[in-house]
Amino acid sequence: MTPDNLPSAAPSIARLVQELNRLPGIGPKSAQRLAYHIIRLPAEEAYALAEAVTAVKRNTVLCGQCQNLAEATPCAICADQRRNRSIICVVEEPMDVLALERTRSFRGLYHVLHGVISPINGIGPDQLKLRELLSRLSVPEVTELVVATNPTLEGEATAMYIRRHLSRDDLRVTRLARGLPVGGSLEYTDETTLSRAFQGRQDL
Amino acid sequence: MAPPRTYRCEGLTLRKAAIGEADLVVTVFTAEQGKLRAVAKGARRSTSKLVGHLEPLTLTRLSMARGRELEIITQAQVVDSLPALKEDLPLMARGLYVAELLDGFGPEASPSPGLFRLAAAVLRALPGAADPETPLRYFEFHLLRLTGMLPELYQCVECGSEIAPGAHRFSVNLGGVLCPACSPAEALMRPLSLRAMKVLRLMHRGSLSETAALTLNPSLAAELKSILAPTVRYWLGKEIRSNSFLEQLQNERRPGTGAIRGQ
Repeated sequence: MTPDNLPSAAPSIARLVQELNRLPGIGPKSAQRLAYHIIRLPAEEAYALAEAVTAVKRNTVLCGQCQNLAEATPCAICADQRRNRSIICVVEEPMDVLALERTRSFRGLYHVLHGVISPINGIGPDQLKLRELLSRLSVPEVTELVVATNPTLEGEATAMYIRRHLSRDDLRVTRLARGLPVGGSLEYTDETTLSRAFQGRQDL
Repeated sequence: MAPPRTYRCEGLTLRKAAIGEADLVVTVFTAEQGKLRAVAKGARRSTSKLVGHLEPLTLTRLSMARGRELEIITQAQVVDSLPALKEDLPLMARGLYVAELLDGFGPEASPSPGLFRLAAAVLRALPGAADPETPLRYFEFHLLRLTGMLPELYQCVECGSEIAPGAHRFSVNLGGVLCPACSPAEALMRPLSLRAMKVLRLMHRGSLSETAALTLNPSLAAELKSILAPTVRYWLGKEIRSNSFLEQLQNERRPGTGAIRGQ
């Protein structure tokens, strides 16, 4: 929606609607609803929102090691000397780091690719942070790479691409297990997931 | 009479894109309706009954409800997940090339049983082919045929004379073979050897299994690619992105060297 087709709105409101409408998953109606919600907020809350947007753009950098979004380089995870520096877990997006950190199961380091190989969408290996990953893996201190790209066609393509380009034979390369989700149902599970769940079955 | 609100079909998933909080928009190629786009609600949640059934390069039986702009996928069941195609990166890249061409050429809302059967057969033939490039050439040839752009192999596309053995050329934009006497200024031409002509004629009249069993020497395989791949690209009117990725994989010096081309 543009200010032109919001004829009765004040220009500044129309502009806010237009900007919100550019966000992913926000259609014209949602943008309008959010804009009027912001207008009704107490001034300090609205300014805090604006300040948060400004600050995140001003202060966010990519960590020079793991390529995750951070406020300093190296980021807090890479700088934490208590973490196991011999294992690197490679993920597609910064949000995947948050998801894995919530599990508290992994105490190694991360590497964020910022995407996934998707030839049909024109995203090739050169557009990802793969060169940086291969450079980190050349250090003998690193003994294991955990490939935690999503179990999708693109995630698998990226995992295979990484595997093809590893030069060290002594590096252990693992892939996150694929199987049944908690709360899922066998009846609706696809054959690939089910067969992998069978392959990865464990003693009770 | 209005068409039914719900229907079933079998489709090949070409691509998917995230939309909203947890939904997907899936592009599917079906025999009954050609290419169509459909919403799979909640399909990005790991516990969705649709998750896993809508991955690209998967043959799936779908239950659909007609929507205002996009169809809505209500049920999905994998018919063939084509696992052998997805366990090898160059094979997967070739499968994506087929999917991208179907996406580009496939007619929307128009029955296309021949094109659907061709694509499914080629994807299934890729892992076992003597050279996986050969089924791709078969696909390109018959994709052109089924979309009304069958390459002319028996008469000169300029003068109409019957093609006899000689120094022929293939014109990408005129859609077939040129005899030695014709060189129209507007023709994008490539040399066409007698052996390549014979393989093209075999592709035209023969089956996929006959073509896939051929063992072509590298120069002949390259010649066929130099004829058919630019022809589909010409008629599509844009670059085929997955082909660039496939060529990148083929040009890499040796897997396991730690080198990424261009870096």
